[in-house]
Amino acid sequence: MSDTGFWIVQTLNGVQLSLLYFLLSVGLTVIFGLMHFVNLAHGALYALGAYVSVTVSAVLGYWGGFLLAPVAVAVVGIGLYLLLIRRLRHADHMNQVLVTFGLIFVFTDLFRIGWGDIDLGLEPPTLFSGQSTVFGVVYPTYRLFVIALGLVIMAALALVLTRTQIGAMIRAGVDNEDMAACLGIDVDRVFFGVFCMGCALAGLAGVVAAPVFSVTPAMGDSVLIPALIVVVIGGLGSLRGAVVGSFLVGFIQTFGAVIAPQLAAMITYALLAAVLILRPAGLFPARS
Amino acid sequence: MFHQTALKSVTLVILLLGLGAYVQTGGYYGRELVIEACILAMLALSVDVVAGYGGMISMCHGALLGAAAYAFAAMTALLGWPPSLSFVIAIVASTLLATAIGAVSSRTQGIFFIMATLAFGQMVYVMIFDAPMLGGDDGMAGVKRLNLDLVGINFKKSAPFAFACIALLALSYGLAALMLRSGFGRTLSGVKANEDRLRALGVRVWWVKARAFGFSGLLAGIAGVMAAQHTQFVSPELLLWTLSGEALVVVILGGLGTLVGPLVGAIALVFVKHEISSVTHYWHLFIGIALILTVLAGGRGLYGQFEYVVTRARRRRAKDHA
Repeated sequence: MSDTGFWIVQTLNGVQLSLLYFLLSVGLTVIFGLMHFVNLAHGALYALGAYVSVTVSAVLGYWGGFLLAPVAVAVVGIGLYLLLIRRLRHADHMNQVLVTFGLIFVFTDLFRIGWGDIDLGLEPPTLFSGQSTVFGVVYPTYRLFVIALGLVIMAALALVLTRTQIGAMIRAGVDNEDMAACLGIDVDRVFFGVFCMGCALAGLAGVVAAPVFSVTPAMGDSVLIPALIVVVIGGLGSLRGAVVGSFLVGFIQTFGAVIAPQLAAMITYALLAAVLILRPAGLFPARS
Repeated sequence: MFHQTALKSVTLVILLLGLGAYVQTGGYYGRELVIEACILAMLALSVDVVAGYGGMISMCHGALLGAAAYAFAAMTALLGWPPSLSFVIAIVASTLLATAIGAVSSRTQGIFFIMATLAFGQMVYVMIFDAPMLGGDDGMAGVKRLNLDLVGINFKKSAPFAFACIALLALSYGLAALMLRSGFGRTLSGVKANEDRLRALGVRVWWVKARAFGFSGLLAGIAGVMAAQHTQFVSPELLLWTLSGEALVVVILGGLGTLVGPLVGAIALVFVKHEISSVTHYWHLFIGIALILTVLAGGRGLYGQFEYVVTRARRRRAKDHA
């Protein structure tokens, strides 16, 4: 492969990883920003999406899993909301961190019990199973599909947030919860909707990631930290921040692994530390 | 604010005597459990000092423990330095590292403090993971134990080593209690209660936090050096953020901000884990549920709840007398 071809492939890999992080972190950041809720179990919901899709697609094929897994994860999210999260809405951060950390333990063992302690795989759909040629390089079609899907969802979310009434309500809630409530916005209901949407997106990220990575009980742990880093770097509750953060982390990880494997992880954490200390509100704070 | 109440002293003595008795009666495996419990208790104690009394939730204490363990391992196994000297240097190193992390992280608050400590802890982890000299992913074997032949103690045997762990746990508790009772400890409590007010009083808040974190790093360092000597092997898993999370879980299960609670939590966790593991592999499930229930029940933890019930009963009795 030519040298430029190599870099094009790496760029595509970077874009794909970034968009996966975006799907994961966008729900996390809005939940974080809108209700100051820290949900460490978000990574476990991503893993749940992957597991559900593995089981469902064995019966209904890939697209069955693709459609049902986000729904299933959202339903589990609703259950968690009614059972735990609603009570912790106004608790301090530490209790939220602890309860959702406990949920990670519970989910990880439930995956082990339900699906075993082995790596599972998911075949990409036949429609996207081959290779395509883009920009003069051969690249797996499925990964192009991931990129396209990520871009479509990013655009859709941007439209909803900036152009619709729901979006305005969400932005108002992030900006000033009390004021939004005074203006007659049912902030709790808005949050509930956003929470479900965030869970569904985490589930979707799980389905989409399943054919690319292997499905393991600990797969949620490995994406949780990058997703949290994206959220903090970008600024809590900010869509633009989630986009920029995802691309920063995704590209540092992809290119770092190629150029300087020793430094890649280091740079990500150093970036996180630098942002926290120099710009604690993140690069694109949602709150003015 | 910290008070070494009679209830705390009695519980502490019972715990330490119980551990000592188990060393004598529990056989080789029992001694291993005691050692494991003591090391986890020391780590949890160090977390409680900053989290329970300083309001600083740390996600880097695993890295502090691991850093001391690796420093000790590198000095004894790679450089061939005497274990006693390595012991001191390793603890000084983790103290300085913790002070630095605390100083920088003290600029952030709440969830951002958690994230900042997570970032620094992971940086230490990545640094050690990527150092081929330190064995990278494989870890490092051949760590030496202290040589106490001069005073007639064979440290290679598990019983003397287990007793040393209990003694160091008692020492760590004593140091933490002294620190919290000192003027500095009271200032730390003040910072937790109202940072702005302390700042208005002319207290350099960041320096108080940094020093408290450094002290906590000292205790975590002792735990780390003992962990390295125990298995005579160190691996990067010691530094992972999940160990920091587990230490925090122990503190919460035992009782945050009680100093005795972390000991109760660590001993309970190690022994219950051992019991559950013989029945099922899925002990994390039980720990997770216990953690969630503890927080939902008010978050006092095992010892915290006990202390709460006892003091409430005592107060009620005093009221009846009056």
